[in-house]
Formats: sequence, C-alpha cells, structure tokens
Amino acid sequence: MATVMGPLLMAGMVLLPMLVVTNAGGEQNIVVVDASGSHFGERISQTLNEPIVPVTAALLEVAVADLNAVADSLARVVGETDLDGILLLTSETVNDGVGEYRGSNAASQTDMEILQRVLREAVLTERLRMVGVDPALVAEAQGSRVNLHTVTIRGGEATEQSGGATFALAYVMWFLLYMAILLYGVQVLGAVVEEKTTRIVEVLVSSLRPFELLAGKVLGVGAVGLFQLLIWAVAARLLLTQREQLMEWVGADASVTAGLTLPEIAVSTIVVFLVYFVLGFLLYAAIFAAVAATSNSEAEARQAQAPVTMLYAIPAVVSVMAMMTEPDGALFVALTMIPLSSPIAMPGRWVVSDVPPVELLGSVILLVAALALVTWVAGRIFRVGILMHGKRPNVKEVWRWIRAA
Amino acid sequence: MTSEVVVCLDKVSKRFSGHTAVNALDLVISRGSIYGLLGPNGAGKTTTIRMLMNIIGPDSGRVELFGSTQSGRAVTHRVGYLPEERGLYKKMKVVELLIFLAQIKGVEHAVAKAKALEWLDRLGLGDWSLKKVDDLSKGMQQKVQFISTLLHDPELVILDEPFAGLDPVNTQVMKDIVVELSRAGKTILFSTHIMEQAEKLCDSVCIIARGEKVVDGTLADVKREHGGRHLVVALESGSQSAASLFDDRRVVAKADDYGQYAELELVKGIDPQEILAELVKSGARITRFEIAEPTLNKIFIDLVGSRAAVAPTSV
Repeated sequence: MATVMGPLLMAGMVLLPMLVVTNAGGEQNIVVVDASGSHFGERISQTLNEPIVPVTAALLEVAVADLNAVADSLARVVGETDLDGILLLTSETVNDGVGEYRGSNAASQTDMEILQRVLREAVLTERLRMVGVDPALVAEAQGSRVNLHTVTIRGGEATEQSGGATFALAYVMWFLLYMAILLYGVQVLGAVVEEKTTRIVEVLVSSLRPFELLAGKVLGVGAVGLFQLLIWAVAARLLLTQREQLMEWVGADASVTAGLTLPEIAVSTIVVFLVYFVLGFLLYAAIFAAVAATSNSEAEARQAQAPVTMLYAIPAVVSVMAMMTEPDGALFVALTMIPLSSPIAMPGRWVVSDVPPVELLGSVILLVAALALVTWVAGRIFRVGILMHGKRPNVKEVWRWIRAA
Repeated sequence: MTSEVVVCLDKVSKRFSGHTAVNALDLVISRGSIYGLLGPNGAGKTTTIRMLMNIIGPDSGRVELFGSTQSGRAVTHRVGYLPEERGLYKKMKVVELLIFLAQIKGVEHAVAKAKALEWLDRLGLGDWSLKKVDDLSKGMQQKVQFISTLLHDPELVILDEPFAGLDPVNTQVMKDIVVELSRAGKTILFSTHIMEQAEKLCDSVCIIARGEKVVDGTLADVKREHGGRHLVVALESGSQSAASLFDDRRVVAKADDYGQYAELELVKGIDPQEILAELVKSGARITRFEIAEPTLNKIFIDLVGSRAAVAPTSV
C-alpha cells in the first residue's frame, strides 16, 4: 500500500506548493496616503495600478499634520470593506527609505514583497531623478537582468549539471534516505514487538537461533524497502520528465518548472546511494530490533525508540543544513565519516562536491565496522530480550544480557 | 529392543539474577512414555523445558536428547514443542502459518501443506485454512497451535500446560490425540499443575517445587510409596477386637473409627495384607476392605505442602 501512496504523496508534495505559490495573493486594495508633498505617491500609485501588478491603489494626498488622523480613520475601515491596507509615505520615504504599511494582509509575504519592490524601485528612481538622472534611463538600467549560470565542476571538469540541479538532487537523496531508513527501521521494531507480544517467538526460538531470527527479519524488511525505493525512483523519474504535462493537467503555470533541468544521475551516485542506504538501514534496524526486544508492548516500544530516532534525526538535519551552507566545511565532512550520520550525509556530499576516494573508503569501512559491532551487541540483547517479559530492563540489566554467554 | 532414553538431564541448574530457578535436577524419560513434569507455578518446569530445548543454556549439568548432547536446535525436527506462553502471527493465513512453522522444522513445503490440511480437517478447521489467524476464535487458534506442534511427526512431543484455557470439548479432542500419539510409540513430556489430568494420562511423573525434585518414578510407584497406606474397613461384627488393632500405634498410625466403619492410615512399611490377616484372625466379619489410593493431588499437596502456596511469577 505504501508503494502506491509514496509516489502519490510525492506528486502532491511537489505540485501543491507550486499551485499555491503561483496562485497566491489575490488583488490587494490599498490606499496610498501621500504626505511627502512632492507627488511621490502619484508615481507609486501609478506603478501599483499597472496591470501586471496585482494591486489597486487609490491616492490620497494629505498634509503632514493630518497624516495620523487620516491613517487612523482609514484603519477603521480596513477589513470592513475591500480595503486591505494603507501605505503611508512621507518626505522621509525618499530621503531615508522609511515607509509604513498598515493593513490586514501585512503578514502575507508575497503581498508585502510586491509593495516593497515597487517602493524600492520608486525610491531609487526618485533619488536618481533628484540628482538629475533621467527616469527613463533608470527604468532601462533596472530592466536588465543578471543571469548567473551555475555549473558544477566534478573531477576537474565542468559538467553539464547546473548548480541548482545538483543541490536539488542532493536534497532529494538526503530526504529519501532519511525517510526510508527511518520508515523501515521502525517496521523492524514493530515486527519484533509483535512476535514478542504474541509469544510466537517461543516456538520460533526452539528451532531457530535468535540471531537467525533477527537477521531474517532485518534482511526481509530491507529487501521490501529496496523494492519500494525502486518503485519510488521510477515514479520520481516519471514525475520529473513528465512534469510539464502534469502541470498542465493541474492547471498551473508550466513555465515555472521549465527552468528546472533534470540533474544528471551518474551510476556512481546510484551505487553510493544504494550502499549507504543498505548499510545505514542495517545499522539502525539492528538498533531498533534490540530496542524492541527490551519492550513488552507496542506502546513501550514506541516510547523506547524515541531516543534512537533523535539520535538519528539530529545529525541528519544538521548534515543537510551543513550541506546547504558549507559542503566543504569541517562539520559536514565529519558528519560524512561518523557512522551514525554518514549513511545520510555522504551520498549528499558525493553529489555536491568531490569526495576523495580515500575518504569515501574510510567512511564505508567505519560504517561497516560500526555495523558489525552494533549487530553483535543487538544480537545479544535480542537473544535474551525476546523471551523476557515483565518490567523494562534498566541499563545495568541490559549490560548483563550482553555479557551473558 | 531396550527402552531407549529419550531425555536425560543430569544435575542441571539454572540461576536468574540471584534466584535459583532449577537446582541440580536429574530427569530421565524413556521412549514411549507419557511423562508428567508436575509442580506449582514458579517451580521451574518451564525453565527446565527451555533448557531441554536449548532455548536457554544451563549454568551447570548436562542435557541429553536422544542419547547425545546435541543441542535442542540440532534435533529440532524430532521434537515438537508447545510452549506455555504461545502465540501465532495474527495476520497470516492459517495454512501458510502451519507450513512456515513446519518448514522451520525441516519439512518440505508440499508435504507440510498436505499434512496441514489433513490435520485441519481432522480437527474440524477445514473451512478455515485460508483465513487469517485473527479471524479464528481462541479455541480454534489453540487447535492450530497444537497442530503446529505435531505437523512434522516428531518423536518427542513436549506440551507445556497444553490444556490451559481450553474448553471441555477441545480438551477431550486433544487428550484423545495425546493418547493416540503415545500408542503410536511417541514420547510425550507433559508439564502441568493440574493433577487430575496428569493422573489420568501419565505413566511416569516427576514432581518439582522451588526448582528441586521432590519425587519421581512411575505413577504406580509414587502412589505406592507415598500413599498405599490408607485403608477403608467396614465390619459387620467383631469391632471390639478390631478396635484393639486400630489402637496399635505400631501398625496403625491414624484411625478414624466410626464403630462399624473405619478409615485407617497405616504406619509406613506395614503391608495392608497383614491388617487383613489380623482382622480375619480376630474373628471380625469384614464387609469392606479397600486399599484407598490417594490421589496424585493429595500426594502433591502432602509433599509440596506450604511450599506450593508460595508461587513467584514464572519467567
């Protein structure tokens, strides 16, 4: 079921925000109260009233002394009528860039951004005009756009991949790894607790070594996880390549996505991703299984897994933030080496920067070593824990389990 | 062919964080017997069985199954185990579950399937083979558990409190199967604290309490040793002379005398036949002379006594 829900969820997560953004902010209705005495407000309201700007502005020129009174009286009307807000301009606006907007939609980022932009341009034009620059020249100068074309260098060569696409890929991979390892790890938790609470574990253990039981469960869930990931990957690819089609169906502006280039996914990236997914999953699945073995019910297990989940989530979130800001920084590099966070951090790092093969190898070796140790400990906890019922063991008791023959 | 020893425990001990669950236990079970491991809750029965199955290892002592110290898991296909705390995968289909459990015991898929369906039919669950275990009532689930224990045709069947929670009809069905198994030459280890059942089914017993063996042997021996001393005597006449016999404390330990009727407990070692001879010699006319066998329950309570009343929850 999750296999179908996954792609649907992904599609939703991608499409819906885009829909919201493109259709955001209906028309604003504002009153421009101009106390600057220089008809500055006229220019502003003219710009605001241009068709492409979703604002309708009415102009009101007042004397400075009356500004507050007018503002107050208008404020009372805001909300009762179509009036969204009032833009207050004084002579300070042009000189010091100080303006004030009072309105019911002040919290709307998009609305305010529009007003700010218009105001900024108007102030700039005005100031330049005051020192003698022709407004027409200013308009032309402002019209030019700078387009910084970003290209990733990999292995000493510039690749086809844009910087934005690279980051998007890294982020998506981080997200997938984060969700998948957690999701399937928790499944292992649930399965072990179920076997414990239904007591079927007694019969199983009379024929199977507990470690076989543990391994079978972890590998089984892992295989399902891989399979589901595969389906999601195929679905994602479909979504991306067919996105224009999809956007049209949904009625959104397809041009928004046209700029997104499909990132190149090298085979090495896929290999790195898979290796870290498998190792990371095995690591955390073992931990979850051990936690489940000490619990006596679903509720208890859920409580007990919380610290493990935090142990997992915090480095993961820190690593993605480090990846965004400083992919070559010491913190991020460290996170890609420490076994607890490397499964999630390293694939991202592999995508956004050149990782020296030595470091990659070192990270994998550390991870495998950690995995072996954790699995051994988890196996011993599991072996004793699955047959124990009664109150939760404290740390001392668990330690004894580990040391028991 | 000499009676083969199927299970042998030699001075087996197990301690759990300071509490001794089993203390130097010796146990011998011969092939073909229905052996009762009896004791109150917390006596160590389940721990002993787990050590037998090598689910947990003993701290000291030796466990032998089928004549070798191979671990229980190595001979798992020859043993059927129905644990006291038992469960099934709720979301699995009944027949698939049975096949899975049989496969763990080394039975091939096709064979397991055929046998599973056969057993299900036999126990009246034929229509439920493709349903999820969840959908069955508790009694039905217990039948399924029972089937899973026997599906691979084991030589040794270990049943830990098999009738717990079963209604009378199902108890009867299971009991019939157990008897049938025994007649077919299988060895059955049967653990319980319900003496009435044990009394009827077992030919040998071992009573343990607080981790230690209290008594063991064939049921007849145990009864004789610990009980064959109760007499019920009814006289038509001659109760005077009989009375002096009843008062002789060298012979009769306790007497409940009603005049024409008496219940006697003899001194240990005295043969009831002697009493009979004495009574006849004294000239009494005897209408009833019965050697009352005590119930296993009574023997148990006598031997285990107040110890049985203290029962820590079992692990």
